Amino acid sequence: MPGSLVPQRHRLSGLGHRVLAPVVALLFFLPLLWALSASLHEPGVTARRMIAGVPSPVAWGNYREVFRVVDLLRYAANSLFVIALAVPITIVVASWAGFAVSQLPQRWRWRFIALSVLCLMVPLTAIWLPRFILFKEAGLIDRRIALVVPALMGTSPFYVLLFTWTFLRIPQEIYEAARLDGATPWRIWQEIALPLARPAIVAVAVLSAVHYWNSVIEPLLLIRTDANNTASLGLRVLYSLDRTNWPLIMTGAIVVIAPVLLVFVLAQRAFLQDPRGHDRLGH
Amino acid sequence: MRDRVQFSLMLAPYLTGLAVLIIVPAIAGFGLAFADYNALQPPRFAGLANFRALLEDDVFRIAIANSLFYIALAVPLRLVGALFTARLLLRPRRGTRLYRAIVYLPTLIPDMAWALIWLWILNPIYGPLNQALALVGIDGPAWLVDPTWARLGIVLMMIWQIGEGFVVCLASLQGVSRDLLDQAAVDGSSLWRAFWGVSLPLIAPALLLLLFRDTILSFQANFVPALIVGRGGGPDYATTFLPMYIYTTAFGYLRFGYAAAMTCAMYFITGLVLWLQYRTAVRWRLGFDDAG
Repeated sequence: MPGSLVPQRHRLSGLGHRVLAPVVALLFFLPLLWALSASLHEPGVTARRMIAGVPSPVAWGNYREVFRVVDLLRYAANSLFVIALAVPITIVVASWAGFAVSQLPQRWRWRFIALSVLCLMVPLTAIWLPRFILFKEAGLIDRRIALVVPALMGTSPFYVLLFTWTFLRIPQEIYEAARLDGATPWRIWQEIALPLARPAIVAVAVLSAVHYWNSVIEPLLLIRTDANNTASLGLRVLYSLDRTNWPLIMTGAIVVIAPVLLVFVLAQRAFLQDPRGHDRLGH
Repeated sequence: MRDRVQFSLMLAPYLTGLAVLIIVPAIAGFGLAFADYNALQPPRFAGLANFRALLEDDVFRIAIANSLFYIALAVPLRLVGALFTARLLLRPRRGTRLYRAIVYLPTLIPDMAWALIWLWILNPIYGPLNQALALVGIDGPAWLVDPTWARLGIVLMMIWQIGEGFVVCLASLQGVSRDLLDQAAVDGSSLWRAFWGVSLPLIAPALLLLLFRDTILSFQANFVPALIVGRGGGPDYATTFLPMYIYTTAFGYLRFGYAAAMTCAMYFITGLVLWLQYRTAVRWRLGFDDAG
Protein backbone atom coordinates (compact mmCIF):
# COMPACT_ATOMS: atom_id res chain seq x y z
CA MET A 1 0.00 0.00 0.00
CA PRO A 2 2.41 2.70 -1.05
CA GLY A 3 -0.30 5.38 -1.01
CA SER A 4 -0.80 5.09 2.75
CA LEU A 5 2.71 6.34 3.35
CA VAL A 6 1.88 9.87 2.29
CA PRO A 7 -0.44 10.63 5.24
CA GLN A 8 2.11 9.08 7.61
CA ARG A 9 4.73 11.46 6.32
CA HIS A 10 2.46 14.39 7.03
CA ARG A 11 1.61 13.12 10.49
CA LEU A 12 5.30 12.87 11.34
CA SER A 13 6.11 16.35 10.16
CA GLY A 14 3.02 17.62 11.99
CA LEU A 15 4.38 16.17 15.22
CA GLY A 16 7.76 17.77 14.59
CA HIS A 17 6.05 21.07 14.06
CA ARG A 18 3.84 20.91 17.12
CA VAL A 19 6.52 19.84 19.58
CA LEU A 20 9.90 20.69 18.12
CA ALA A 21 9.14 24.07 16.57
CA PRO A 22 8.03 25.78 19.80
CA VAL A 23 11.02 24.30 21.64
CA VAL A 24 13.45 25.57 19.01
CA ALA A 25 11.78 28.97 18.99
CA LEU A 26 12.05 29.18 22.77
CA LEU A 27 15.73 28.24 22.53
CA PHE A 28 16.35 31.09 20.10
CA PHE A 29 14.42 33.49 22.32
CA LEU A 30 16.11 32.43 25.57
CA PRO A 31 19.20 34.72 25.48
CA LEU A 32 17.03 37.79 25.02
CA LEU A 33 14.66 36.58 27.72
CA TRP A 34 17.54 36.11 30.17
CA ALA A 35 18.87 39.57 29.38
CA LEU A 36 15.41 41.07 29.85
CA SER A 37 15.00 39.27 33.16
CA ALA A 38 18.40 40.45 34.42
CA SER A 39 17.59 44.02 33.43
CA LEU A 40 14.60 43.99 35.77
CA HIS A 41 16.61 43.03 38.87
CA GLU A 42 17.89 45.46 41.49
CA PRO A 43 21.25 46.81 40.31
CA GLY A 44 24.39 46.24 42.29
CA VAL A 45 23.07 43.15 44.04
CA THR A 46 24.22 40.01 42.30
CA ALA A 47 21.30 37.76 43.01
CA ARG A 48 21.76 34.03 43.22
CA ARG A 49 18.56 33.33 41.33
CA MET A 50 18.39 35.39 38.19
CA ILE A 51 17.53 32.84 35.59
CA ALA A 52 14.20 33.71 34.08
CA GLY A 53 10.90 34.93 35.28
CA VAL A 54 9.94 38.27 36.73
CA PRO A 55 11.74 39.40 39.90
CA SER A 56 9.90 41.05 42.74
CA PRO A 57 10.03 43.91 43.08
CA VAL A 58 10.58 44.71 39.40
CA ALA A 59 13.40 47.24 39.16
CA TRP A 60 12.03 49.45 36.41
CA GLY A 61 14.34 52.16 37.77
CA ASN A 62 17.23 50.54 35.84
CA TYR A 63 15.80 51.97 32.67
CA ARG A 64 16.06 55.49 34.12
CA GLU A 65 19.38 54.86 35.85
CA VAL A 66 21.18 53.62 32.74
CA PHE A 67 20.63 56.96 30.98
CA ARG A 68 22.11 58.73 34.00
CA VAL A 69 25.20 56.51 34.31
CA VAL A 70 26.22 56.87 30.66
CA ASP A 71 25.05 59.40 28.10
CA LEU A 72 23.13 56.85 26.03
CA LEU A 73 21.02 59.57 24.42
CA ARG A 74 24.15 61.29 23.14
CA TYR A 75 25.50 57.99 21.77
CA ALA A 76 22.15 57.27 20.12
CA ALA A 77 22.10 60.77 18.63
CA ASN A 78 25.56 60.16 17.14
CA SER A 79 24.35 56.89 15.60
CA LEU A 80 21.26 58.62 14.24
CA PHE A 81 23.45 61.38 12.77
CA VAL A 82 25.42 58.73 10.89
CA ILE A 83 22.24 56.92 9.81
CA ALA A 84 20.53 60.12 8.66
CA LEU A 85 23.41 60.82 6.27
CA ALA A 86 24.44 57.29 5.32
CA VAL A 87 21.06 55.75 4.50
CA PRO A 88 19.94 58.25 1.81
CA ILE A 89 23.41 58.22 0.24
CA THR A 90 23.37 54.42 0.28
CA ILE A 91 19.98 54.27 -1.45
CA VAL A 92 21.02 56.70 -4.19
CA VAL A 93 24.44 55.14 -4.87
CA ALA A 94 23.23 51.53 -4.68
CA SER A 95 20.13 52.11 -6.83
CA TRP A 96 22.16 54.05 -9.44
CA ALA A 97 24.67 51.23 -9.66
CA GLY A 98 21.97 48.58 -9.56
CA PHE A 99 20.03 50.26 -12.34
CA ALA A 100 23.09 50.75 -14.54
CA VAL A 101 24.16 47.12 -14.04
CA SER A 102 20.65 45.88 -14.88
CA GLN A 103 20.71 47.82 -18.18
CA LEU A 104 24.19 46.75 -19.28
CA PRO A 105 24.71 44.12 -21.97
CA GLN A 106 24.62 40.58 -20.52
CA ARG A 107 28.39 40.07 -20.61
CA TRP A 108 29.18 43.25 -18.69
CA ARG A 109 26.31 42.68 -16.30
CA TRP A 110 27.79 39.37 -15.21
CA ARG A 111 31.20 40.94 -14.77
CA PHE A 112 29.83 43.58 -12.44
CA ILE A 113 27.77 41.03 -10.52
CA ALA A 114 30.86 38.84 -10.11
CA LEU A 115 32.87 41.85 -8.92
CA SER A 116 30.15 42.70 -6.40
CA VAL A 117 29.95 39.16 -5.05
CA LEU A 118 33.74 39.06 -4.75
CA CYS A 119 33.85 42.34 -2.82
CA LEU A 120 30.96 41.16 -0.66
CA MET A 121 33.15 38.26 0.46
CA VAL A 122 36.00 40.44 1.76
CA PRO A 123 35.90 40.53 5.56
CA LEU A 124 36.44 43.94 7.11
CA THR A 125 39.24 42.49 9.21
CA ALA A 126 41.20 41.71 6.04
CA ILE A 127 41.31 45.35 4.93
CA TRP A 128 41.03 47.37 8.14
CA LEU A 129 44.75 48.20 8.43
CA PRO A 130 45.15 50.01 5.06
CA ARG A 131 41.68 51.48 5.43
CA PHE A 132 42.56 52.89 8.85
CA ILE A 133 45.75 54.42 7.46
CA LEU A 134 43.73 55.90 4.59
CA PHE A 135 41.23 57.48 6.99
CA LYS A 136 44.07 58.74 9.16
CA GLU A 137 45.81 60.40 6.20
CA ALA A 138 42.45 61.94 5.20
CA GLY A 139 42.14 63.48 8.67
CA LEU A 140 38.98 61.54 9.48
CA ILE A 141 40.03 60.06 12.82
CA ASP A 142 37.63 60.78 15.70
CA ARG A 143 35.08 62.41 13.41
CA ARG A 144 31.55 61.05 13.15
CA ILE A 145 31.50 61.84 9.45
CA ALA A 146 34.16 59.15 8.94
CA LEU A 147 31.53 56.54 9.78
CA VAL A 148 29.40 57.76 6.86
CA VAL A 149 32.16 57.19 4.27
CA PRO A 150 31.21 53.54 3.42
CA ALA A 151 27.84 54.91 2.18
CA LEU A 152 29.75 56.36 -0.78
CA MET A 153 30.07 52.83 -2.13
CA GLY A 154 26.47 51.98 -1.28
CA THR A 155 27.55 50.57 2.12
CA SER A 156 27.57 46.97 0.86
CA PRO A 157 27.72 45.41 -2.61
CA PHE A 158 24.79 43.32 -1.40
CA TYR A 159 22.49 46.33 -1.67
CA VAL A 160 23.64 46.94 -5.25
CA LEU A 161 22.90 43.31 -6.07
CA LEU A 162 19.48 43.66 -4.45
CA PHE A 163 18.67 46.66 -6.64
CA THR A 164 20.09 44.96 -9.75
CA TRP A 165 17.87 41.96 -9.13
CA THR A 166 14.83 44.18 -8.50
CA PHE A 167 15.34 46.25 -11.67
CA LEU A 168 15.89 43.10 -13.73
CA ARG A 169 12.50 41.81 -12.64
CA ILE A 170 10.74 44.87 -14.04
CA PRO A 171 9.70 44.02 -17.63
CA GLN A 172 12.32 45.48 -19.94
CA GLU A 173 9.59 46.65 -22.39
CA ILE A 174 8.71 49.44 -19.93
CA TYR A 175 12.26 50.81 -20.18
CA GLU A 176 12.26 50.31 -23.95
CA ALA A 177 9.03 52.25 -24.37
CA ALA A 178 10.39 55.14 -22.31
CA ARG A 179 13.62 55.09 -24.29
CA LEU A 180 11.71 55.29 -27.58
CA ASP A 181 9.93 58.33 -26.16
CA GLY A 182 13.34 59.91 -25.79
CA ALA A 183 13.77 59.52 -22.02
CA THR A 184 17.37 59.49 -20.78
CA PRO A 185 18.60 56.68 -18.48
CA TRP A 186 18.66 59.29 -15.75
CA ARG A 187 14.94 60.02 -16.14
CA ILE A 188 14.04 56.34 -16.49
CA TRP A 189 15.81 55.65 -13.19
CA GLN A 190 14.05 58.53 -11.48
CA GLU A 191 10.56 58.24 -12.90
CA ILE A 192 10.09 54.56 -13.73
CA ALA A 193 12.61 52.27 -12.06
CA LEU A 194 12.77 53.82 -8.60
CA PRO A 195 9.01 54.13 -8.00
CA LEU A 196 8.61 50.46 -8.98
CA ALA A 197 11.38 49.39 -6.58
CA ARG A 198 9.77 50.62 -3.38
CA PRO A 199 10.09 47.27 -1.49
CA ALA A 200 13.80 47.17 -2.33
CA ILE A 201 14.22 50.74 -1.14
CA VAL A 202 12.53 49.90 2.16
CA ALA A 203 14.66 46.79 2.57
CA VAL A 204 17.93 48.63 1.85
CA ALA A 205 16.93 51.51 4.12
CA VAL A 206 16.15 49.16 7.01
CA LEU A 207 19.16 46.88 6.50
CA SER A 208 21.65 49.73 6.12
CA ALA A 209 20.21 51.71 9.05
CA VAL A 210 20.49 48.61 11.25
CA HIS A 211 24.00 48.04 9.89
CA TYR A 212 25.19 51.50 10.98
CA TRP A 213 23.45 51.20 14.34
CA ASN A 214 25.02 47.78 15.03
CA SER A 215 28.48 48.37 13.56
CA VAL A 216 31.28 47.93 16.10
CA ILE A 217 34.57 47.59 14.24
CA GLU A 218 34.46 50.90 12.37
CA PRO A 219 33.64 53.18 15.32
CA LEU A 220 36.03 51.15 17.48
CA LEU A 221 38.91 52.01 15.14
CA LEU A 222 37.94 55.53 14.13
CA ILE A 223 36.31 57.16 17.18
CA ARG A 224 38.45 58.30 20.12
CA THR A 225 36.45 60.83 22.13
CA ASP A 226 33.62 59.59 24.32
CA ALA A 227 31.34 62.38 23.06
CA ASN A 228 31.59 60.94 19.52
CA ASN A 229 30.79 57.34 20.47
CA THR A 230 27.95 55.49 18.77
CA ALA A 231 25.24 53.49 20.56
CA SER A 232 27.07 50.17 20.18
CA LEU A 233 30.29 51.58 21.58
CA GLY A 234 28.33 53.31 24.33
CA LEU A 235 27.43 49.85 25.60
CA ARG A 236 31.12 49.10 25.94
CA VAL A 237 31.58 52.32 27.93
CA LEU A 238 28.74 51.23 30.23
CA TYR A 239 30.38 47.83 30.68
CA SER A 240 33.78 49.35 31.43
CA LEU A 241 32.34 51.57 34.19
CA ASP A 242 31.20 48.69 36.41
CA ARG A 243 31.89 45.22 35.10
CA THR A 244 29.83 43.43 37.75
CA ASN A 245 26.63 45.47 37.66
CA TRP A 246 24.87 42.98 35.39
CA PRO A 247 21.32 44.31 35.78
CA LEU A 248 22.42 47.73 34.54
CA ILE A 249 24.60 46.33 31.71
CA MET A 250 21.71 44.17 30.52
CA THR A 251 19.41 47.20 30.73
CA GLY A 252 21.79 49.05 28.42
CA ALA A 253 21.84 46.08 26.05
CA ILE A 254 18.03 46.00 25.91
CA VAL A 255 17.89 49.76 25.32
CA VAL A 256 20.26 49.45 22.35
CA ILE A 257 18.45 46.37 20.98
CA ALA A 258 14.94 47.86 21.27
CA PRO A 259 15.08 50.32 18.33
CA VAL A 260 16.41 47.56 16.03
CA LEU A 261 13.55 45.25 16.97
CA LEU A 262 11.05 48.07 16.54
CA VAL A 263 12.31 48.80 13.02
CA PHE A 264 12.29 45.08 12.27
CA VAL A 265 8.71 44.61 13.39
CA LEU A 266 7.59 47.63 11.36
CA ALA A 267 9.37 46.37 8.25
CA GLN A 268 8.57 42.70 8.80
CA ARG A 269 6.64 42.46 5.56
CA ALA A 270 9.64 43.52 3.55
CA PHE A 271 11.78 40.94 5.37
CA LEU A 272 9.85 37.73 5.69
CA GLN A 273 7.06 37.75 3.16
CA ASP A 274 9.51 37.24 0.34
CA PRO A 275 12.48 35.36 1.80
CA ARG A 276 14.34 35.49 -1.51
CA GLY A 277 14.41 39.26 -1.22
CA HIS A 278 16.77 38.91 1.70
CA ASP A 279 19.10 36.35 0.22
CA ARG A 280 22.53 37.80 0.85
CA LEU A 281 24.20 35.63 -1.75
CA GLY A 282 22.28 37.45 -4.43
CA HIS A 283 20.32 34.81 -6.26
CA MET B 1 26.38 57.34 -26.71
CA ARG B 2 24.62 59.75 -24.33
CA ASP B 3 23.10 56.72 -22.61
CA ARG B 4 26.47 55.14 -22.13
CA VAL B 5 27.86 58.27 -20.48
CA GLN B 6 24.91 58.43 -18.11
CA PHE B 7 25.20 54.74 -17.17
CA SER B 8 28.90 55.26 -16.48
CA LEU B 9 28.09 58.22 -14.25
CA MET B 10 25.58 56.13 -12.32
CA LEU B 11 28.15 53.39 -11.80
CA ALA B 12 30.98 55.78 -10.95
CA PRO B 13 30.33 56.37 -7.23
CA TYR B 14 29.90 52.66 -6.54
CA LEU B 15 32.98 51.59 -8.49
CA THR B 16 35.11 54.40 -7.05
CA GLY B 17 33.95 53.44 -3.57
CA LEU B 18 34.74 49.77 -4.13
CA ALA B 19 38.17 50.67 -5.44
CA VAL B 20 39.08 53.08 -2.65
CA LEU B 21 37.50 51.23 0.28
CA ILE B 22 37.93 47.55 -0.64
CA ILE B 23 40.13 46.77 -3.63
CA VAL B 24 43.00 49.19 -3.00
CA PRO B 25 43.15 48.37 0.75
CA ALA B 26 43.14 44.64 -0.08
CA ILE B 27 46.12 45.10 -2.40
CA ALA B 28 47.88 47.67 -0.22
CA GLY B 29 47.77 45.17 2.63
CA PHE B 30 50.22 42.95 0.79
CA GLY B 31 52.62 45.87 0.34
CA LEU B 32 52.31 46.82 3.97
CA ALA B 33 53.40 43.32 4.98
CA PHE B 34 56.88 44.09 3.64
CA ALA B 35 57.18 47.32 5.59
CA ASP B 36 57.96 48.48 9.08
CA TYR B 37 55.21 50.94 9.88
CA ASN B 38 53.81 52.36 13.13
CA ALA B 39 51.38 54.91 11.63
CA LEU B 40 53.42 57.76 13.16
CA GLN B 41 56.68 57.72 11.18
CA PRO B 42 56.85 57.05 7.43
CA PRO B 43 57.02 53.35 6.52
CA ARG B 44 60.39 51.69 6.00
CA PHE B 45 61.03 48.73 3.73
CA ALA B 46 61.61 45.65 5.85
CA GLY B 47 61.88 42.88 3.28
CA LEU B 48 60.79 39.52 4.62
CA ALA B 49 61.50 40.42 8.25
CA ASN B 50 57.80 40.43 9.21
CA PHE B 51 57.23 36.99 7.73
CA ARG B 52 60.36 35.63 9.38
CA ALA B 53 59.18 36.97 12.73
CA LEU B 54 55.82 35.24 12.23
CA LEU B 55 57.52 31.85 12.15
CA GLU B 56 58.88 32.40 15.66
CA ASP B 57 55.75 33.93 17.14
CA ASP B 58 54.07 31.45 19.50
CA VAL B 59 50.93 33.58 19.88
CA PHE B 60 50.55 33.68 16.10
CA ARG B 61 50.66 29.89 16.00
CA ILE B 62 48.03 29.73 18.76
CA ALA B 63 45.87 32.26 16.87
CA ILE B 64 45.96 30.10 13.73
CA ALA B 65 45.07 27.00 15.71
CA ASN B 66 42.19 28.87 17.39
CA SER B 67 40.89 30.16 14.07
CA LEU B 68 41.01 26.68 12.54
CA PHE B 69 39.26 25.29 15.61
CA TYR B 70 36.53 27.88 15.16
CA ILE B 71 36.14 27.10 11.44
CA ALA B 72 36.09 23.35 12.08
CA LEU B 73 33.44 23.57 14.79
CA ALA B 74 31.35 26.74 14.47
CA VAL B 75 30.98 26.85 10.67
CA PRO B 76 29.53 23.30 10.27
CA LEU B 77 27.34 23.70 13.36
CA ARG B 78 25.96 26.99 12.02
CA LEU B 79 25.25 25.41 8.64
CA VAL B 80 23.54 22.37 10.16
CA GLY B 81 21.60 24.64 12.53
CA ALA B 82 20.38 26.82 9.66
CA LEU B 83 19.40 23.78 7.60
CA PHE B 84 17.64 22.11 10.53
CA THR B 85 15.61 25.17 11.53
CA ALA B 86 14.73 25.86 7.89
CA ARG B 87 13.47 22.30 7.37
CA LEU B 88 11.56 22.43 10.64
CA LEU B 89 9.82 25.70 9.74
CA LEU B 90 9.48 25.00 6.02
CA ARG B 91 5.74 24.33 5.74
CA PRO B 92 3.41 27.18 6.60
CA ARG B 93 1.34 26.21 9.63
CA ARG B 94 -0.02 28.00 12.63
CA GLY B 95 2.74 29.93 14.33
CA THR B 96 5.30 29.37 11.60
CA ARG B 97 5.65 33.06 10.80
CA LEU B 98 6.29 33.90 14.44
CA TYR B 99 8.77 31.03 14.85
CA ARG B 100 10.66 32.11 11.73
CA ALA B 101 10.89 35.67 13.06
CA ILE B 102 12.19 34.39 16.40
CA VAL B 103 14.87 32.26 14.73
CA TYR B 104 16.01 35.37 12.84
CA LEU B 105 15.88 37.54 15.97
CA PRO B 106 19.39 36.87 17.42
CA THR B 107 20.94 37.80 14.06
CA LEU B 108 19.43 41.28 14.35
CA ILE B 109 20.81 41.96 17.80
CA PRO B 110 23.80 44.34 17.67
CA ASP B 111 27.09 42.46 18.05
CA MET B 112 28.09 44.47 21.12
CA ALA B 113 24.79 43.77 22.90
CA TRP B 114 24.93 40.10 21.89
CA ALA B 115 28.47 39.78 23.27
CA LEU B 116 27.55 41.43 26.58
CA ILE B 117 24.46 39.22 26.91
CA TRP B 118 26.63 36.13 26.48
CA LEU B 119 29.26 37.47 28.85
CA TRP B 120 26.42 37.44 31.38
CA ILE B 121 24.89 34.10 30.31
CA LEU B 122 28.29 32.39 30.52
CA ASN B 123 29.22 33.89 33.87
CA PRO B 124 30.39 30.74 35.72
CA ILE B 125 28.85 31.64 39.10
CA TYR B 126 25.84 33.88 38.57
CA GLY B 127 25.17 33.33 34.87
CA PRO B 128 21.74 32.00 33.89
CA LEU B 129 23.18 29.08 31.90
CA ASN B 130 25.03 27.48 34.80
CA GLN B 131 22.10 28.22 37.09
CA ALA B 132 19.76 26.50 34.67
CA LEU B 133 22.16 23.56 34.46
CA ALA B 134 22.25 23.42 38.26
CA LEU B 135 18.46 23.08 38.28
CA VAL B 136 18.76 19.79 36.40
CA GLY B 137 21.64 18.67 38.59
CA ILE B 138 24.54 19.51 36.28
CA ASP B 139 27.56 21.30 37.70
CA GLY B 140 28.23 23.77 34.87
CA PRO B 141 31.77 24.37 33.62
CA ALA B 142 33.85 27.47 34.39
CA TRP B 143 32.93 28.90 30.96
CA LEU B 144 35.07 32.00 30.62
CA VAL B 145 37.81 31.01 33.05
CA ASP B 146 38.78 27.64 31.62
CA PRO B 147 40.50 28.08 28.21
CA THR B 148 38.73 25.18 26.48
CA TRP B 149 35.31 26.18 27.75
CA ALA B 150 35.91 29.83 26.87
CA ARG B 151 36.58 28.83 23.26
CA LEU B 152 33.50 26.59 23.23
CA GLY B 153 31.45 29.38 24.77
CA ILE B 154 32.24 31.62 21.80
CA VAL B 155 31.29 28.86 19.37
CA LEU B 156 28.07 28.41 21.34
CA MET B 157 27.04 32.07 21.13
CA MET B 158 27.66 32.10 17.37
CA ILE B 159 25.26 29.18 16.77
CA TRP B 160 22.35 31.49 17.56
CA GLN B 161 23.16 34.10 14.91
CA ILE B 162 22.32 32.00 11.85
CA GLY B 163 19.44 34.06 10.47
CA GLU B 164 21.00 34.67 7.05
CA GLY B 165 21.80 31.00 6.50
CA PHE B 166 18.32 30.15 7.76
CA VAL B 167 16.69 32.42 5.18
CA VAL B 168 18.85 31.08 2.35
CA CYS B 169 18.08 27.45 3.33
CA LEU B 170 14.39 28.28 3.64
CA ALA B 171 14.28 29.87 0.18
CA SER B 172 16.24 26.96 -1.34
CA LEU B 173 14.03 24.31 0.27
CA GLN B 174 10.93 26.16 -0.89
CA GLY B 175 12.30 25.82 -4.40
CA VAL B 176 12.38 22.02 -4.15
CA SER B 177 9.41 20.67 -6.07
CA ARG B 178 6.66 19.20 -3.94
CA ASP B 179 5.98 16.60 -6.63
CA LEU B 180 9.46 15.13 -6.30
CA LEU B 181 9.02 14.74 -2.54
CA ASP B 182 5.58 13.16 -2.91
CA GLN B 183 7.02 10.81 -5.50
CA ALA B 184 9.72 9.79 -3.02
CA ALA B 185 7.06 9.17 -0.37
CA VAL B 186 5.01 7.05 -2.75
CA ASP B 187 8.17 5.08 -3.53
CA GLY B 188 8.37 4.26 0.15
CA SER B 189 11.05 6.70 1.29
CA SER B 190 10.80 7.93 4.84
CA LEU B 191 10.68 11.65 5.53
CA TRP B 192 14.33 11.58 6.46
CA ARG B 193 15.38 9.67 3.34
CA ALA B 194 13.38 12.01 1.12
CA PHE B 195 15.17 14.95 2.71
CA TRP B 196 18.57 13.33 2.47
CA GLY B 197 18.11 11.88 -1.00
CA VAL B 198 15.93 14.46 -2.78
CA SER B 199 16.04 17.88 -1.10
CA LEU B 200 19.66 17.96 -0.01
CA PRO B 201 21.30 17.24 -3.38
CA LEU B 202 19.03 19.83 -4.99
CA ILE B 203 20.02 22.61 -2.60
CA ALA B 204 23.67 21.52 -2.33
CA PRO B 205 24.98 24.45 -4.44
CA ALA B 206 23.32 26.99 -2.11
CA LEU B 207 24.71 25.14 0.90
CA LEU B 208 28.19 25.17 -0.59
CA LEU B 209 28.02 28.93 -1.15
CA LEU B 210 26.83 29.39 2.43
CA LEU B 211 29.71 27.26 3.66
CA PHE B 212 32.26 29.32 1.73
CA ARG B 213 30.74 32.59 2.84
CA ASP B 214 30.57 31.60 6.50
CA THR B 215 34.16 30.35 6.43
CA ILE B 216 35.45 33.61 4.97
CA LEU B 217 33.36 35.83 7.21
CA SER B 218 34.30 33.83 10.31
CA PHE B 219 37.44 35.98 10.24
CA GLN B 220 35.21 38.93 10.97
CA ALA B 221 32.42 37.32 12.99
CA ASN B 222 34.51 36.18 15.94
CA PHE B 223 36.29 39.49 16.49
CA VAL B 224 33.72 41.21 18.73
CA PRO B 225 33.06 38.01 20.76
CA ALA B 226 36.82 37.65 21.32
CA LEU B 227 37.10 41.32 22.27
CA ILE B 228 34.21 41.30 24.75
CA VAL B 229 33.41 37.74 25.80
CA GLY B 230 37.08 36.70 25.61
CA ARG B 231 38.06 40.07 27.15
CA GLY B 232 40.63 40.68 24.44
CA GLY B 233 41.49 37.10 23.52
CA GLY B 234 41.82 35.36 26.89
CA PRO B 235 41.96 33.42 29.07
CA ASP B 236 45.48 32.29 28.28
CA TYR B 237 45.09 33.23 24.55
CA ALA B 238 42.24 30.70 24.25
CA THR B 239 40.04 33.12 22.26
CA THR B 240 42.86 34.93 20.45
CA PHE B 241 41.60 34.28 16.93
CA LEU B 242 43.57 35.78 14.05
CA PRO B 243 41.56 39.03 13.76
CA MET B 244 41.87 39.58 17.51
CA TYR B 245 45.66 39.17 17.36
CA ILE B 246 45.89 41.39 14.28
CA TYR B 247 43.88 44.06 16.10
CA THR B 248 46.10 43.93 19.20
CA THR B 249 49.28 43.97 17.13
CA ALA B 250 48.27 46.87 14.90
CA PHE B 251 46.09 49.11 17.04
CA GLY B 252 47.56 48.16 20.42
CA TYR B 253 51.28 47.89 19.65
CA LEU B 254 51.23 49.95 16.42
CA ARG B 255 53.05 47.23 14.47
CA PHE B 256 51.10 47.66 11.25
CA GLY B 257 53.59 45.89 8.98
CA TYR B 258 53.71 42.83 11.20
CA ALA B 259 49.91 42.76 11.46
CA ALA B 260 49.68 43.02 7.67
CA ALA B 261 51.93 39.97 7.35
CA MET B 262 49.47 38.12 9.58
CA THR B 263 46.65 39.27 7.31
CA CYS B 264 48.49 37.70 4.37
CA ALA B 265 48.62 34.47 6.37
CA MET B 266 44.89 34.85 6.96
CA TYR B 267 44.26 35.11 3.21
CA PHE B 268 46.42 32.03 2.64
CA ILE B 269 44.65 29.96 5.30
CA THR B 270 41.23 31.03 4.01
CA GLY B 271 42.18 29.95 0.49
CA LEU B 272 43.50 26.64 1.75
CA VAL B 273 40.38 25.87 3.79
CA LEU B 274 38.09 26.84 0.90
CA TRP B 275 40.03 24.57 -1.42
CA LEU B 276 39.74 21.65 1.03
CA GLN B 277 36.02 22.29 1.48
CA TYR B 278 35.54 22.41 -2.26
CA ARG B 279 37.40 19.15 -2.83
CA THR B 280 35.41 17.44 -0.07
CA ALA B 281 32.13 18.79 -1.45
CA VAL B 282 32.89 17.59 -4.97
CA ARG B 283 33.58 14.10 -3.65
CA TRP B 284 30.47 14.22 -1.47
CA ARG B 285 28.21 15.23 -4.35
CA LEU B 286 29.70 12.58 -6.60
CA GLY B 287 28.71 10.10 -3.91
CA PHE B 288 25.14 11.29 -4.27
CA ASP B 289 25.18 10.81 -8.02
CA ASP B 290 26.39 7.23 -7.58
CA ALA B 291 23.64 6.49 -5.08
CA GLY B 292 20.99 7.94 -7.36
